[in-house]
Amino acid sequence: MDTIWLPPALVCYALSAAGFVAGRAANRPRWTDQAVPLLGAAVLFHTLDLVIGALKAGNIPVTNFAQSLSFLAWLTAIVSFVLISRMRMQVLGAFVAPGVLAAVGSAMLLTRRGRLVIPDSLRSAWLPVHVTLAFLGDALFVVAAGVSLAYLVYESRLKAKRPMTPVGQTMPSLEKLDRINYRLLGWGFVMLSLAIVSGALWAEATWGHFWSWEPQESWSLITWLLYAALLESRVAAGWRGRRAAALTLAAFTVLLGSFLSVSLLFPGKHGGSFG
Amino acid sequence: MDEKLLIVGINHRTAPVAVRERLAYGDGEILATLLRLKDRAPTLAESALISTCNRVEIVGVAADSARAIDEATSFLAADREVDAALFAGALYRFEGRDAVHHLFRVGASLDSMVVGEPQILGQLKLSYGYAAEAGTAGLVLHRAFHRAFSVAKRVRKATLIGRGSVSVSSAAVRLAGQIFDTLSDKTVMLMGAGQMAELTARQLHALGAETLLVTSRTFDHAVALARALGGTAVPFESHRPYLKIADIVIGSLSAARPVLESENFEAVLRERRYRPIFLIDLGVPRNFDERLNTMENVYLYDIDDLGAVVTESVGERAREADKAETIVADALASFMRWMDGLDLVPAIKDIRVSIEQLRDTELGRHRAWLAALEPAERQRIEGLTRTLVNKLLHRILAGLRSTGAGSSDPAYTAELARRLLCGELAPEGSVLGGTAANLDFEMDLDSGDDEES
Repeated sequence: MDTIWLPPALVCYALSAAGFVAGRAANRPRWTDQAVPLLGAAVLFHTLDLVIGALKAGNIPVTNFAQSLSFLAWLTAIVSFVLISRMRMQVLGAFVAPGVLAAVGSAMLLTRRGRLVIPDSLRSAWLPVHVTLAFLGDALFVVAAGVSLAYLVYESRLKAKRPMTPVGQTMPSLEKLDRINYRLLGWGFVMLSLAIVSGALWAEATWGHFWSWEPQESWSLITWLLYAALLESRVAAGWRGRRAAALTLAAFTVLLGSFLSVSLLFPGKHGGSFG
Repeated sequence: MDEKLLIVGINHRTAPVAVRERLAYGDGEILATLLRLKDRAPTLAESALISTCNRVEIVGVAADSARAIDEATSFLAADREVDAALFAGALYRFEGRDAVHHLFRVGASLDSMVVGEPQILGQLKLSYGYAAEAGTAGLVLHRAFHRAFSVAKRVRKATLIGRGSVSVSSAAVRLAGQIFDTLSDKTVMLMGAGQMAELTARQLHALGAETLLVTSRTFDHAVALARALGGTAVPFESHRPYLKIADIVIGSLSAARPVLESENFEAVLRERRYRPIFLIDLGVPRNFDERLNTMENVYLYDIDDLGAVVTESVGERAREADKAETIVADALASFMRWMDGLDLVPAIKDIRVSIEQLRDTELGRHRAWLAALEPAERQRIEGLTRTLVNKLLHRILAGLRSTGAGSSDPAYTAELARRLLCGELAPEGSVLGGTAANLDFEMDLDSGDDEES
């Protein structure tokens, strides 16, 4: 259920991603600078699309895969925008913006499929809470993966004694990237924990049991355990820097697998079409 | 306009430091020197003195540039009590356009030992300040220096000429900034001594590295160096435990074999909880085992690696220098146009005065008749004549300006215009040639314009 605001959002995402990537690759800092407000504009349009869509449908717009993708992309874009503008991490744009663009583009293409209405059994005040927490947790992990990717790219250049950036461009130090990765993982973990708890409480209220080992639930648990292990390894054994970045990316692929497989392959209560 | 800008001097390219230091002037001496120069080199209408570690130059303005240059050269020899032959070979002379070009290039740091260095602009401003204070800077130097400043600013802003690290120590410091977010909670350990190492340690400390440890095989040396740099001395035998807290280690020991080996370094990393460690190896033979770079969160740069960073930056600056030369060339062209325009200004002034005098004279000759008119009619006549004169002047001056701008010798145009419109004979020796005797025509101001009522 697209509103007219999604195409302009897509255009802005595309221009922004182009600016970030080309700005880095061709060493034109001005393109990178212009990409930031473009990302902000894209988020604005996207917000309008989601809000209007939600008002029309009467519920939070995550009833099918396409909408979930769009919602996730939106949250990812917001987190990225905040990081880029407040913490001067323009480098992140080149790593995250293309992914967001792909997600929104796919969402637009896929939007015909799937149901558009939440089944009655799932109508509840829990729905927006649980879903937003879960997706926010996912979005934070996506951005953490982007940060980790940036870390690995720049760290390998430093090790190879190649210049990290072309002259005239700045980028955050490795230590800063590492620290932000840690913070994102921490917050993502908190959100995912709250999402699982809220899901369990909701399930209890609706169906009488906290946990039913649904595919999505199981996958979430595995993801949760992975991130717990990641954070623990950093806190206890001081695993940071390259291995933390590599592990974050590995854990992210698990997350990606869970999101896609649950939505496309294993319909259950969480299934892609809510059927 | 025969007044030209001129520059005479020596720089790091033409003269070794042993010669430059004989001619150099301290900041405090410049003002007095300019006043002496004014006395001893009267041909110089304007003058300024630039003296830095890279150059000693006299910048001047004179009509007879050849004589002025000779006077300036003799002045330098006499004033510094140096035999002129000593630096004659190193001396360069620039006149006119070349001099302006040189001045702008110097200001843009294109003539510096390290292209893109930022100090020259401040030094140039200082020289200009002294010249202004001494009263030896006039119309041309004021404009030339101000233009040089704005060119310098534009070059720095529009090109990357000042970026990158062109010294080993600044390259090391920059790399530290790429690894660490902030230096304020980091510890630097300096092993050994040496100019580059000490400079690096000093810069890191100045940028916020709170703790500086100094170690050396001779403890007394370490203590002395620690005191000089504001750090703490550590006995060499017990330096190893400090690796746990040292985030940046600078190696500058003379040692036949590496001091830090990769075999037992894993334990150090674990103790550090894998916090990143930056090893700067300035020793030859190297102080740190090169295999350390393969270990996790260890960043090892030896002297060659740092040298490569510097070479890369220097190359980058050279590429940016080309852009800078274009900016300089533009500014040069517009400055030379301004200088050409100077020719016309006195001519235009004279023309205006002369023609207005014409009007005054004529009105004066009919004074009695005008006085007899009604006030309104009198005013009308005065207004009419004024308008006529103004329109005529406007046409003439506009034509002059556009002609002067295009002609190859604006001075000729100015002279010709003055001759045609002022009724003056050109002075002897002017560009129009000939002596007063040959200039035979008379301008008959009295013929056929009276209308007696």
